[in-house]
Amino acid sequence: MIVKGEHAFSGRPELVWALLLDPEVIAKAMPGTRELALTAPNRYEGRMVVTIGPVTAAEFALVIMLEELAPPRRFVMRVDGNGRFGFTRGTARVELAANDGGTMMRYEADLQVGGKIAAVGQRLLDVVSRTLLRAGLAALGKELEHRLGDGDRP
Amino acid sequence: MTESPSWLGRRVPRNEDARLLTGRALFVDDVNPPGTLHVAFFRSDHAHALIRGIELGTARRRPGVVAAYTAADLGEFWQPGQLLVAPVPVEGAVFHAVTQGPLARGKVCCAGEALAMVVAESRYLAEDALADIQVDLEPLPAVGDLEAALAPGAPVIHQGLGGNLAARARQRKGDYEAARAAAHRVIARRFRYDRGVSGAIENRGIVAAWDPRAEELTVWDTTQAPIPIRNGLARVLGLRESQVRVIAPFIGGGFGPKIMMHYPEELLVPWAARRLGATVKWIEDRQESFFATTQERLQIHDAELAVAADGKILGVRDRFLHDTGAYDPYGLTIPINTQCTLLGLYDVPCYDSEFTVVFTNRPIVTPVRGAGRQHGVFVMERLLDFAARELGLDPVEIRRRNLLTPDRFPHDHGILFQDSAPLIYDSGNYAPLLERAAERVEYQRFKRETQPAARAGGRRLGIGIVSYVEGTGIGPYEGARVTIEPSGTVRVATGVGTQGQGHFTTFAQIVAEVLGVEVGRVEVVTGDTREFGWGSGTFASRGIVVAGTACHEAACRVRAKAVALAAEILGVAAEEVELASAGARVRGAPQRRIGLGELARRANPLRGAVRPGTEPGLEATAYFGPDRGSTAAGVHAMVVEVDPETALVAIRRYVVVHDCGRVINPAIVDGQIQGGVAHGIGNAFYEALAWDENGQLLNASFMDYLLPTALDVPTVEIVHLETPSPLNPLGVKGVGEAGAIPTAAAFAQAVEDALAGTGLEILEAPLSPNRLFELLQALPGAAR
Repeated sequence: MIVKGEHAFSGRPELVWALLLDPEVIAKAMPGTRELALTAPNRYEGRMVVTIGPVTAAEFALVIMLEELAPPRRFVMRVDGNGRFGFTRGTARVELAANDGGTMMRYEADLQVGGKIAAVGQRLLDVVSRTLLRAGLAALGKELEHRLGDGDRP
Repeated sequence: MTESPSWLGRRVPRNEDARLLTGRALFVDDVNPPGTLHVAFFRSDHAHALIRGIELGTARRRPGVVAAYTAADLGEFWQPGQLLVAPVPVEGAVFHAVTQGPLARGKVCCAGEALAMVVAESRYLAEDALADIQVDLEPLPAVGDLEAALAPGAPVIHQGLGGNLAARARQRKGDYEAARAAAHRVIARRFRYDRGVSGAIENRGIVAAWDPRAEELTVWDTTQAPIPIRNGLARVLGLRESQVRVIAPFIGGGFGPKIMMHYPEELLVPWAARRLGATVKWIEDRQESFFATTQERLQIHDAELAVAADGKILGVRDRFLHDTGAYDPYGLTIPINTQCTLLGLYDVPCYDSEFTVVFTNRPIVTPVRGAGRQHGVFVMERLLDFAARELGLDPVEIRRRNLLTPDRFPHDHGILFQDSAPLIYDSGNYAPLLERAAERVEYQRFKRETQPAARAGGRRLGIGIVSYVEGTGIGPYEGARVTIEPSGTVRVATGVGTQGQGHFTTFAQIVAEVLGVEVGRVEVVTGDTREFGWGSGTFASRGIVVAGTACHEAACRVRAKAVALAAEILGVAAEEVELASAGARVRGAPQRRIGLGELARRANPLRGAVRPGTEPGLEATAYFGPDRGSTAAGVHAMVVEVDPETALVAIRRYVVVHDCGRVINPAIVDGQIQGGVAHGIGNAFYEALAWDENGQLLNASFMDYLLPTALDVPTVEIVHLETPSPLNPLGVKGVGEAGAIPTAAAFAQAVEDALAGTGLEILEAPLSPNRLFELLQALPGAAR
């Protein structure tokens, strides 16, 4: 499953960068995340609970690793989630570019989903992932607004 | 023999229905002894992965969990499964046997392969404990596409083989190249026939009970082959065969996958029962069955038909790929069936067929109702349709011109069949099948009036008419024991398992006919190794042919005993005695009679002397093994209506004219055909497994995997024709798979006919409304 798109933030790339690498913020940006902690440099571990159609409250142990970091322009995010109801693995490339005083984020993720969530939730995966993404981006935007409110507004 | 009409050929109501309809029939899940422990399996989510580690500590500590095992805990018990069917000895054939162990060790080769087993006080607890298990799997690229699997550099599933080639075999007769050179036209196409599940309403299940006092293991199993299961369990558990009793009670559908010997669960549950000294139970859930029960039937054919200007077949060449899944325990059975069945009812002078069997990261492939025959029929019938179109012939006419004529039987095709014997059709009379089907479906009138009238009114009707053969009734043998009890009840015990075929009635009819009793007085026991311990199982449409004949032979021996004793008691010569109305009587003097129950009592004296060599009671056992299979045949005709905008297809009529030799019970044969057609319709237009590129199954539930419903399956109009088989005394042939074999071919022809003029060619099965819509959109000039 390929998920790609772009999203405009109102803050500068440096600010968005800091936002994206903050475990607390990532947890907010990934709805259903119950815990997320920085366990080693650029390695985050935690838990996530999602519902996909008939598979309700599927819990995943989550490992996120950030690689190829080139602040504040791009990074690669590897996600590995495993749980009773299946797994998700994937790589997301995220690029940030200054855009009219704000930042344009472009992302492209290649996600593999397997196990029960793929077997019975397949028809809903696309919708669920888009819904999660939308909610996540909204949460990021809100967080950014909040930080900008603290005096970082350009 | 009697003045009452024969029991054979009569629509006798089924002996088993009272039990089934009132809920008194025993199924495996009904077996619930107190204290039963329950099993859940931890299955791989990945289709192809290395196993780095499995952690069971947390699961084992969960309250209510009795035990948990991985492959490492099985010790010496872990062995690769047995090869069930030795490969057919085709000259020059290559076959690499790779079978599955009871729990994956080192590597996972398909999604759903079991990695660990949990035994707990309830299934709920066992399932909860699965969440405690931590596995460390290193995913590998998965192989699914058959051509990519064989390409250089493809991920290799079984490292020792160096590639994914499982087998290759070529069978030939005549000189195809010469036939091709002489042909008026050569019709060449690529065909694809994809995978589905068998969809039995009852999933698999096993209950195993170890009795430490008797030192006996009793296993209730949804198997089609209880006797080989017993023998195998005794072997792997180090028990005597007499210490193991396997009972295959009523089973809600077999269709082939339940013949597997042995599934991992079938070994592990009895093993755990013995190890724990307990009763252990596992019932497969529907999700599991999509992964853990065997499937069929992906093949890709590159086939060509060489025809003369008059439509006569000069030769066929076929090269095909067969997907065997992650392992190949069933030898070459399916592709050999395909290779043989392609020849159909036709006179094919030259044939050159080679198949290549490919390992993939998919569930194991073993026969599912039809067992490769579908593909052969689909390829041949489609090629004939395209040839007819090119030659300007009617589809019925091109078939008529190529049928084997009655003087050609027995007909030796010059190649080997799945039982390793030459493919020889024992008997057949094919032209009447085609004529009766055309007549019954009103083919001429449909083409002349119905179809044009519908078209004029904006409706797209189409007709399809195709033929098939079904190789049935293969050996090696089955047996039966027939006993007349002092109550007058006749008891029949045979080793084949029963999954809805009506054995309790057809076997009873055969025995009732010989012994002159009511069918309702004959009690049949099947599938209990303690009742009857010799035989191989229910497969290849062989029950009536092989076990039915054994019942007949045993009944004849009992009759001889009964007649001899009655003659002595009645003071007449044996030739003077006949069996009728549940007794023995003097021919022409029916008042001089003795009841069968009384005879049975007299045959078992408690005092006095008997003559040397006397066997007590009225009982006999007999076995039957045919030289080779008997070949049934038939023609299916279908009328469909297609909505060209939505690509939905409704089946308006379905006619089957078939010949399975002598029919013992037309109602039961009708049921087999109706059920087979339902299976076939699913396989033609609804059921298809969808996989992603990583070997993940994307529609593993009946929400997304569509079985046809009663609304999609018309009542089949059935005509029985009878050409008795010379290979058994009853003249019977099998019919278990007939309904399912040619359905997709008939469907394709009918849909194309409905959409005639669009240039649509259907080269694949199963279709779906979606897929048909895509095909229509892809046609040149299609409205977009």
